[in-house]
Amino acid sequence: MGTTASGEVEKLMKRFTLKWPLVITSSLLAFLIFIVPLYGAAVYSFKGNGGKGHSWVNYQWLIHQDGFYPSLLTSLKLAVLAAFLTLALMVPTMVYLNLKGQKYKSLVDFLCILPLIIPVVSLAIGAQVAMPKILQNSEYELVFFFVIIALPYTYRALDTSLQTVALKTLVEASRSLGASWTSTIMLVIVPAIRSGITGALFLTFALSIGEYTITSLLHWETFPTWTVVAAQQNILGAIAISVFSFVGAIALLSIIALLPKRNAQRVEVDE
Amino acid sequence: MSKNDRESCTLELRGMSRHFGPVKALDGLDLTVRPGELVALLGPSGCGKTTALRIVAGLEVATSGELLLNGERYNETPANHRDMGMVFQSYSLFPNLTVSENIDYGLRARKVDSDKRQKRVIEMLELVALESKAKSYPHQLSGGQQQRVALARALAIQPRVLLLDEPLSALDAQVRGQIREEIRRIQLDLGITTLFVTHDQEEAMAISDRVGVMSHGQLEQIDKPIVLYNSPATAFVATFVGLANRIPAEITAKGKAKVLNQKVNILESAEPFPEGSKVNVIIRPESLELVSESDDEATRGIVALKSFLGPMTKVGIAVEGAPLIHLNISSRDVRKLDIGDKISFRISSDEVMAERV
Repeated sequence: MGTTASGEVEKLMKRFTLKWPLVITSSLLAFLIFIVPLYGAAVYSFKGNGGKGHSWVNYQWLIHQDGFYPSLLTSLKLAVLAAFLTLALMVPTMVYLNLKGQKYKSLVDFLCILPLIIPVVSLAIGAQVAMPKILQNSEYELVFFFVIIALPYTYRALDTSLQTVALKTLVEASRSLGASWTSTIMLVIVPAIRSGITGALFLTFALSIGEYTITSLLHWETFPTWTVVAAQQNILGAIAISVFSFVGAIALLSIIALLPKRNAQRVEVDE
Repeated sequence: MSKNDRESCTLELRGMSRHFGPVKALDGLDLTVRPGELVALLGPSGCGKTTALRIVAGLEVATSGELLLNGERYNETPANHRDMGMVFQSYSLFPNLTVSENIDYGLRARKVDSDKRQKRVIEMLELVALESKAKSYPHQLSGGQQQRVALARALAIQPRVLLLDEPLSALDAQVRGQIREEIRRIQLDLGITTLFVTHDQEEAMAISDRVGVMSHGQLEQIDKPIVLYNSPATAFVATFVGLANRIPAEITAKGKAKVLNQKVNILESAEPFPEGSKVNVIIRPESLELVSESDDEATRGIVALKSFLGPMTKVGIAVEGAPLIHLNISSRDVRKLDIGDKISFRISSDEVMAERV
């Protein structure tokens, strides 16, 4: 027994020793590729007038620019709507596909990849023409575009999550206990795939809030299109905008990463 | 205190069939479960027992046939309106809900008022002796505890029929025995009509009022466990229920056969076997007895196998011209026997069952 235990320890030590240089090298590379430019941008964004000293002047300039708050609020509003519309459409669809529509899954899989394949210009112009007139004249049309461009990611996030739960038996248990389909989805399935739903929610949100091409093509003003225009007036302000956007995105992704994953917990219990 | 206020009801399946393309998973099943009765459907994998249970639960749609509860047709009633409690093989507890919340789930779905729900949950927790685990989550429970919660959850809604889909298969042997007895105790206590599906004959025989043996989507025989064991209606039932030797024999006269150089009486069958025809006779291990070597009419063989089963030991005897023949011998007596020893035995049963080869 002792021999086995010490053997295991030796194996672990060996693995650790082998991995250690790899960890250092990859960390160093990550540092160089990501951290140094970001650090540089952050330092520059705090330069004072004329590039001297350190101050918040560029951030102050940013928040006092015309259109900063309206464009940011528009982006937030559209991103939130897109995220919830995505869930409203995708959760029941994915549940159906995983429960009863296995034969349609490859087709939906293909359809959800299309936004990555179709050129954005074709997508924007083509889809806009197909939209009802009332939406064509409203910034809310962007919500539908955001849902479409987020499809490849939301599909994967939800599908992976649904694969990890015993969906069929949970649904059958719920139905046999007298629950309706709505109750089953809301009380059993949604909590069981919470991590996937949260992932899909934040991915859609992050993609929507940073979307530039379609918004620009359709001549709407959201935060990304506003930043392009604003950045042309002040180079250090443009860097401040980049840092501000980046920190915002990192904050969102951190929230996803830090969310508790209760379903992954397993506690061994003696009989 | 009655824990199930609802009156027990009769469950009937009439000519129930379920076809998946050319495959007949269920082929005209007729079954009646009387009020308060526990009936087990027993059979090998693919015999249609689970399909039958799922049709009763409303989780599968029958191709043809009728499902009746107290004479009322239920075929078109959706699963969530059938008032049937189901316990699944894989427990199927809701991972995001505590034990109490799991038990409460069906009551909430039925919009039972809060006080009644709370009282009912406590009753159910007492019933399955899990009061201390009320606030635990399923992943914090052992398999046996999870299955008890699943049982409590199914019973909380006071179902008209309790459906058990191989509820013990995922448990280890010791826990399986405990939960099995617990299920029977609770079923008798509540007097609830119960349909229990299993492939384990010991489970089925131990707790059921009647056992239905299924094969190829049809019911071969349904009766009390002791009748099934002692008077199997078909060769399939004889070999599936309990251990049986299938030994080649020859019909010597009407109702008589010669097997292992011994003469035996054959049980009457619908189609009598013609004289001289080859058959297999089905003989249970306990219908064979060891005799002294001086017995001229005995069959002789060599001990080829010994399997210790606790109080009894299964002994395999190699006999020329026959497959390995199994006997059950008291473990105390078997100590004298070693592999390779010569042994003599006789068929002690008055009548044996035969099947065509």
